[in-house]
Amino acid sequence: MTHDHDHDHDHDEHHHHHHPQEKSATELRVEALEALLAEKGLVSGEAIDAVVSYYENDVGPQNGARVVARAWADPTYKERLLADGTAAVKEFGFTGFELNTLVAVENTPKVHNVVVCTLCSCYPWPVLGLPPTWYKSAPYRARVVSEPRAVLREFGLELPAEVDLRVWDSTAEVRYLVVPERPDGTNGWSEEELARLVPRDAMIGTARALEPSV
Amino acid sequence: MTQLADLDSALAETAPLPRANGELVFDEPWQGRALGMGIVALESAGISLVEFSPFLAEAVARHGYDPAEPAAAAYYTAWLDALETCLAGRGLPGVVG
Repeated sequence: MTHDHDHDHDHDEHHHHHHPQEKSATELRVEALEALLAEKGLVSGEAIDAVVSYYENDVGPQNGARVVARAWADPTYKERLLADGTAAVKEFGFTGFELNTLVAVENTPKVHNVVVCTLCSCYPWPVLGLPPTWYKSAPYRARVVSEPRAVLREFGLELPAEVDLRVWDSTAEVRYLVVPERPDGTNGWSEEELARLVPRDAMIGTARALEPSV
Repeated sequence: MTQLADLDSALAETAPLPRANGELVFDEPWQGRALGMGIVALESAGISLVEFSPFLAEAVARHGYDPAEPAAAAYYTAWLDALETCLAGRGLPGVVG
């Protein structure tokens, strides 16, 4: 609508036969196929919108959250995860790493891990989805190495001085997944319940897991 | 909803989704639309991704490779071909046209 509106405003002699929104043959084909499939009851615009939004925006973090939740719930799984992250996430069917290695690093009361890619934006996408914009930003990439505590404070994460802070630099070959500390008050929780406490940033190391709401 | 990991594991060997540094690539909105439409239609028609993947691999191979054509455009054009062929084979004539 906005485009139409703008177009009306400059609809002068330069634009008589020019349609800025003219669709390509492929775009028309997609529209026609969607109309046909909708007519046959196979698709609806809303269902497609939901899938598209998932694939364009939200894909991923919930995969990592399931991995973390299982590590919390099952000590033997956590051992496997910390020993060989790539193999352990494959147990969920999460694969497709571009020949690289996934290393899981565990936060404890004494150690906090945070992940960066100083060179570009390497990121464990099969488990975390698309990286957030700040992860790709030059300031984060530089400052999380030079002044990690200050950066984490800006994320709202204040670390006691005695906590050992480890910054992991991702590469095309090795990518990292932070296993945050399991929140108190979650004894006996199912993996599914636990997974809801694991936001994306907790697996990058710029946040903690969520506290269970009472 | 079909998860990305399901899609990846079904297509990894035959016709993996186009990516750059791990991120899915959609150069133009129609490509995401084509993917979403396919996922929804296959689910509704009860066709699994494993059943769909040979159609996709065949369509990708038939489409061929042209260095001048962006990879995502080539892939999702083939995706549409495969979707039409696969659905037509399931007695949904009129889909191909």
